[in-house]
Amino acid sequence: MAIPSLVSVVDDDESVRESLPDLLREFGFSALAFASAEEFLASNFVAQTRCLVLDLAMPGMSGQDLQRELMQRRQEIPIIFITAHGDPSVRPQLLDQGAVECLFKPFSETALLVALGCALRVN
Amino acid sequence: MNSELIHVVDALPGLIWTALPDGCIDFLNERWREYTGLSGAEAYGQGWQASIHPDDLRELLDSWQSIRKSGQPGEMQARLRRSDGEYRWFAFSARPVVNDAGGIVKWCGITTDIEDRKHKDDSARLAERRFASIVDGLPTMITLRTPEGNLEFANRRYLDYFGSTFDELKVWGQSFHPKERADVLSTWRRSIATGQPWDIEARRRRADGIYRWFHTRGFPLREPDGRISLWYNLHEDIDERKQAEALVAGEKRVLEMVTDGHAMPAILEALCLVVEDMASDCYCSVVLVDSNGTRLEHGAAPSLPATFINAIVGRALNVDSGPCAMAAYLNQQIIASDIRSEDRWTASEWCPMALAHGIEACWSTPITSAAGNVMGAFAIYYARPRTPTSQDQAFIDQFTHIASIAIERERFQVSLKRALEELRMSEGNLRTIIDAIPGFVWSATPDGNVDFLNQRWCEYTGASMTNACGSGWQDAIHPDDADGLPAYWRSLLESGVAGEFEARLRRFDGSFRWFLIRTVPLRDEGGNIVKWYGQNTDIQDRKQAEALLEGEKRLLEMVAGDCSLTAILEALCKLVEATSANCRCSILLTSARDTYLRYKTELGVRLTHAASAGVPTSLMVGMDGHAVGIESYPCAMAATLNEQVIIADIEAETRWETWRPVALANGLRAAWTTPIASRNGKVLGTFLILYGEPKTPTPADRYLIEQFTHLASIAIERAQDAGALSRSQAFLLEAQRLSSTGSFSWRVGTDEITWSEQVYRIFGLDPEMPVTNEVIASRHHPEDLPVFQEMVERGRSGSDFEFDHRLLMPDGTVKYLHTVAHGTRDKNGQLEYIGAIQDVTERRLSEEALGAVRKELARVSRITSLGALTASIAHEVNQPLSGIITNASTCLRMLAADPPNVDGARETARRTIRDGNRASDVITRLRALFTKKTVSTEPVDLNEATCEVIALSRRELQNNRIVLRLELSDDLPRATGDRVQLQQVILNLLLNASDAMSSVNDRPRRLVVKTERDKDDYLVLSVRDVGVGFGSLDFDKLFEAFYTTKESGMGIGLSVSRSIIEHHQGRLWAASNDGPGAIFSFSIPQRIEDATETHRPINIRKSAVQEAQHATGNT
Repeated sequence: MAIPSLVSVVDDDESVRESLPDLLREFGFSALAFASAEEFLASNFVAQTRCLVLDLAMPGMSGQDLQRELMQRRQEIPIIFITAHGDPSVRPQLLDQGAVECLFKPFSETALLVALGCALRVN
Repeated sequence: MNSELIHVVDALPGLIWTALPDGCIDFLNERWREYTGLSGAEAYGQGWQASIHPDDLRELLDSWQSIRKSGQPGEMQARLRRSDGEYRWFAFSARPVVNDAGGIVKWCGITTDIEDRKHKDDSARLAERRFASIVDGLPTMITLRTPEGNLEFANRRYLDYFGSTFDELKVWGQSFHPKERADVLSTWRRSIATGQPWDIEARRRRADGIYRWFHTRGFPLREPDGRISLWYNLHEDIDERKQAEALVAGEKRVLEMVTDGHAMPAILEALCLVVEDMASDCYCSVVLVDSNGTRLEHGAAPSLPATFINAIVGRALNVDSGPCAMAAYLNQQIIASDIRSEDRWTASEWCPMALAHGIEACWSTPITSAAGNVMGAFAIYYARPRTPTSQDQAFIDQFTHIASIAIERERFQVSLKRALEELRMSEGNLRTIIDAIPGFVWSATPDGNVDFLNQRWCEYTGASMTNACGSGWQDAIHPDDADGLPAYWRSLLESGVAGEFEARLRRFDGSFRWFLIRTVPLRDEGGNIVKWYGQNTDIQDRKQAEALLEGEKRLLEMVAGDCSLTAILEALCKLVEATSANCRCSILLTSARDTYLRYKTELGVRLTHAASAGVPTSLMVGMDGHAVGIESYPCAMAATLNEQVIIADIEAETRWETWRPVALANGLRAAWTTPIASRNGKVLGTFLILYGEPKTPTPADRYLIEQFTHLASIAIERAQDAGALSRSQAFLLEAQRLSSTGSFSWRVGTDEITWSEQVYRIFGLDPEMPVTNEVIASRHHPEDLPVFQEMVERGRSGSDFEFDHRLLMPDGTVKYLHTVAHGTRDKNGQLEYIGAIQDVTERRLSEEALGAVRKELARVSRITSLGALTASIAHEVNQPLSGIITNASTCLRMLAADPPNVDGARETARRTIRDGNRASDVITRLRALFTKKTVSTEPVDLNEATCEVIALSRRELQNNRIVLRLELSDDLPRATGDRVQLQQVILNLLLNASDAMSSVNDRPRRLVVKTERDKDDYLVLSVRDVGVGFGSLDFDKLFEAFYTTKESGMGIGLSVSRSIIEHHQGRLWAASNDGPGAIFSFSIPQRIEDATETHRPINIRKSAVQEAQHATGNT
């Protein structure tokens, strides 16, 4: 392994921001957490980010908004959506729009790992 | 005489004698003696008389005497007795012997035998004698005269009359009155000369000296050779006749004077003169009674001296003043035949006065009027005493009569004059009156010929009375009436009954006017008609007004009878043309939607031709609905400016340059156009009258125009109204159909129901069918019959009502109806409802569909919200769960690392606990959604809270056809608790009850909410329904959480409600009703006053209470 790929976590939920980056580091990635899409965009780590773990429902700019924004910026960062909302019908739509995966909380680490693998492989 | 002579004398063949102048015979010749047989001695002296026949002796002696007296030769005749005793006629002819001195010394005579001659003579003489006796017997006087004029014979009467002897009368002419004598003589001489008969009237003096009038006629007796041998003279005493003539002539003269209007004095004077002329030697006077009737006035006294007159005039009317005064006073003739011996009137000394004037007799006769009033006295005075003979009396009577006539006539004359004057004046008045009679006066004879026509008639017809009299007046009658009138006139003449006839008479200018001709007969006392009087009154105006009225009436009938507007306006134009002579009429209508503005001529007005009976079409240009300005034609101006336009003379008009020539070309010279205005002043059209000659409207014309435009406006407005009405009716019908709303009326007292067409359609009934409550009930859905009953009951009670109910149609379809009705009482107090029924099936169905959808939506949204709730719960829980899992996974990995990351693991474990707590918090919060952990304590008015809830859920309840009934206690104390939570409980109970009755269709869905205070002073609220109820279910199970019988129920309602109540230290329970349905109740303690409680102002919302009550129909 070379430099570990950066995975950015954007979620307004604190517990996610707390727990997920650690898990990702255990997976061997480097991880950063952002509380909002704006914070992420304002950071210097947009280009560096190899994969984005993005919450769907956030106050202000939502996950999909960020997705669109990145597409406009031609920042092709693979996105893995995570959401606490229970509507399964959103998943196909999101995949059509270019997301790698959409995971429903609470998700298992295995599911996450698989999704990461897809995202980075695509990349 | 010597003897020779004697011998000679004796020898003579004749009897010769001589006599002494005294008549004694002194010689008789031989022959005498021989014949008579008497000797000389016997015969001489008077003895010879013995030889004369006794019968002739007297005459002979008379003749002898007269001859002797006359001294002229003469002849006598007598019978001489012969010696043998026989008498023979002899003529004695005597001649006087005169001496130189002329004195008669002797008479000698010869007596010749004329017996034969006498016999001849005798027969002649007999004849003559007979003739003489006849002649003597005749009541006339006859004389015979010789051609020279000498009297030869005079009959007895003649002699008697004149009282003289024959000889005396020989002297002709003496007896004639001096006044006539000259005339008579000349006439006589002429006659004698010419031999022509003569005829004369003259007065002759009678034996007693009185002159009397005689009519003397002389006829010549001619010999065969033509010589006149004798004159026969007839003398007729015509004195009386003459007097009568004179009297008559006098009377006539006097009367002529009267009629000629001579003054009274002159008349009376003439009268007196006539009398004085008639009678002789008298003086005549007339005195009059003055106007007071007390004194004498001078009438006339032409021949009396003034002193006498003055002495009489002025005397008082009494018995003392004098004979005239007395006569007038007593109305009696007073005769004073000898004044000298009079002893009357001594007081006034009348007699001396009269005598002094040489008057010795006075006859005074009163002059009386025909009525018997004394007007005066007529007096005749004589210079000698005289008593009136019967003849005098007769004259007096005559003259007094004449005088009375004269005086009366004079008086009559005066009053006649006055009367004539008055008559003339009154005639003038009569004329004026007749001429002033507002009509024509005429008269006709009984056979029908008109003999008088008054001034006005002649002026009107222009015919002279002479032309029109008879039957010429018939020329003035209008040809159409000319047949009927003469026939009617004839029938009147025959029947003799007054009558009247209406006919047109031609005026001098050729126009005709209607007249009422009335005539009455005048009858005399016998009942026969002597005259027909007639009067004609001009009724043209009345006729015109009648015709106009008739026409207007017909027009109004047309208007009321729904004739078409065109027909009405055409009829109106025809009426105008019939009323006014020589005109054409047209009516234009403005466009209904036209709004023309005053003074904005460019906007123009649209006129369409409505009616024009006789107006030429060339003039109709521009009257076809196009907008025209005021300069197009006069009607446009009238319509635009809403003002009448009068063109008295089109030729003199300068406006309307295009229209004018067309009008003139059609022979029109005057045009009057008037706008026809509606009730509120809007112009509906124009009314135009055209004339063939220049004309200015008179006040009568203006009045007519006003009438006609008014009629036209009525017709037009009615047509418009009718149109509007039928349109609005159609609208209404259509609107009812469109909105499926019908209207009805219901007279509660008689149950009389009237439906509009639409209601019949709604109910699917034949409009001919009578409508009764039974019919309506039969149509109702069985389940809604109670509703209908309630409706009827509500109606009978008099209040307005509004109901929703259903009909079950024969084909099984259900119709939803919404009925609203408002009750009024008419003037008799009778209750009548006017209402509307709307078929709201579609709406209801759609509402129900909507409701179903809403329910579905609500369910879905409930589900959705449940989903959302679940989602939000899930979201809330998922977050910490996700954290837990993530952290746990991380923990395991950290512990599995070589070397194990214990610190990291520790951290993850810590986070895991934290997340677990978070999740727990979520649950807690979740619970808090349904129940608040803290119960706020405030005073709660349960009634008010209940009403608010009901108000908020009104719609819901109504949709479910809930019949809500509130029984809220008045003395409910307040509770302490959470108002909102309590309301949630109430709402829950209400909705549950509503849901429980959602399948109830055979009875009203009654829901009763009751609040009360129980024996422990707890507030109890109960909700009772008539729904499905709970059968044998255990009530407690109801309150188990999530237990629900409802399709969509979450099942948390009742359990949460129970927990809320329990939090309020209350109790919630349920029970079954005796009938269908259940009752849910809760009780909570009443409020305990506590100073530490927070006070919140109680929000009193009375309106909410009212709203709730109203919504449920509770008042």
